[in-house]
Amino acid sequence: MLFAKPLADLIAQLEKLPGVGAKSAQRLAYHVLRMPGDDVRRLAEALTRARESLRLCAVCQSFSEGEVCEICADPRRDPHTVCVVAEPRDVAALERINEYKGTYHVLHGLLSPMDGVGPENLKVRELVERLRADVQEVIVATNPTVEGDTTALYLAKLIHPLGVKVTRLAHGMPVGGELDYADSATLLSALEYRREI
Amino acid sequence: MGFVARLAVRDFRNYECGEVTPSSGLNLVVGRNGQGKTSLLEAVALVSTGRLLRGSRDTQAIRLGQPSGEVKAELGDQGTEVAVLIAHGQRKRVLLNGLALARASDILGRLPSVSFSTVDLRVVTGDPSDRRAFLDAELAQLWPAYLRHLSVYKRALEQRNALLKAAQIGYVPDEAFEAWEEALGQHGAGMRLSRREWVAAAAGPAQEAYQFLGGGETMGLDYVLADDGVEPERLAQGLRDARSVDVRRGATSVGPHRDDLAVTVDGRDARAYGSQGQQRTAVLALMAATMASVRETLGQPPVLLLDDVFSDLDGERRSRLTELALAAEGQVFLTATESSLAGPSVLSRAAVFRVQSGTVRAE
Repeated sequence: MLFAKPLADLIAQLEKLPGVGAKSAQRLAYHVLRMPGDDVRRLAEALTRARESLRLCAVCQSFSEGEVCEICADPRRDPHTVCVVAEPRDVAALERINEYKGTYHVLHGLLSPMDGVGPENLKVRELVERLRADVQEVIVATNPTVEGDTTALYLAKLIHPLGVKVTRLAHGMPVGGELDYADSATLLSALEYRREI
Repeated sequence: MGFVARLAVRDFRNYECGEVTPSSGLNLVVGRNGQGKTSLLEAVALVSTGRLLRGSRDTQAIRLGQPSGEVKAELGDQGTEVAVLIAHGQRKRVLLNGLALARASDILGRLPSVSFSTVDLRVVTGDPSDRRAFLDAELAQLWPAYLRHLSVYKRALEQRNALLKAAQIGYVPDEAFEAWEEALGQHGAGMRLSRREWVAAAAGPAQEAYQFLGGGETMGLDYVLADDGVEPERLAQGLRDARSVDVRRGATSVGPHRDDLAVTVDGRDARAYGSQGQQRTAVLALMAATMASVRETLGQPPVLLLDDVFSDLDGERRSRLTELALAAEGQVFLTATESSLAGPSVLSRAAVFRVQSGTVRAE
């Protein structure tokens, strides 16, 4: 037998995580075996607690401890502006700049028929429901990839008839970047979306 | 002018280690078959385009039993160094002056090149997909915007085809198709516009080169559309109209991935009716036209990579081809099994490199 049964089980569970291959799973498993017992218990508890106490916010569909997440429940946030992102981690990225005062909507993915993801697999219906209330602008902040762009296009077509303004995050030169080393796709996009100063 | 001033390879094909300092003009690489002549040309192609010749998989170029291989080139009169690092199990890295580029294709345009070997005969004798691949490679080198259209189009096409397959087994609402078809319309129309322009501009130089190379007949180039979608709206509409047919076929029937480049000799399809000689001359003429378009568009002659082109040509055509290659005034790499095949006009001007079982030395 290659591994003792409990170790083999642990490796098998770790391997299921995204980005963790057979080798990393083994390394992590051996690391866990060498950790102090208390730390392992805390890790196990944190895993279970996170999974069990978090659910999707009834409004924005991001992860939340309560029925409605802290951002959606905050009276200082502007509910008339909704920023649509693909993943919960994108909310965290935008929150870090501490500038955006509107609310969010998490799609939990992007349109990709190849992966079996259609509008019905995303939180699109929930978004349209929200727009029935007094929303003035939807900012689509999906990644500038083929799937991100197409999802943005899909949403724009869906939302325009409702009379809500739809905008999209700009894409172009990274701040502090050098023209000479910018990739062509980025430069093309920066040129296409240039603006008057 | 872009040319390779120094070329170094490590664990690349059958080279363990090698370095050459080519001339900025004509370079003749001689050696028996299987010694590594083509690999040297391929190393130049790799630093020029970020890709190997003729769709080889990158890791195939790593010397047998080695974890990684590398090609480095110093580009003349710019002081630029381009390095391409290929390793098993890792992404290929292209470095410009030591800095990694975001995409391998971002190197395109620094050292434009045009290559030709007997395999490229399939541009005339092969399937429409061979001709589209030729157009795509040449246009991507000239216009980054074309490469952008092409890569988005390919991806969106895969996505629409996946939707078509899904619609065969279940209900897919029309809205699910719309956004993909709009993307295909925009980028597909962009591709068609560039391809048509390029072919129209290449037709004249191709005809001239064809006659110069000893073809008495006229040669024609024409971009043949599979449908009338040359504007984004029109192409998107074409896709909408074809939707139900496409669902049944499980494939997209409209768009630039169905187009073809018609090569004719005396008004007749060169693929079906051309003699072997006519077909070979037509491909060489196409290569000459490509050189002209690089020169015209990028303002500098491309590096010309001619792999074993002499063996199939008679003496007269050989010297004509040499003349054509030299007229471009760019750097040329020629391979031949015997230096005598190249003829006196080449030998008097060329820097000669002899290749033997994975080593190369200047003569």
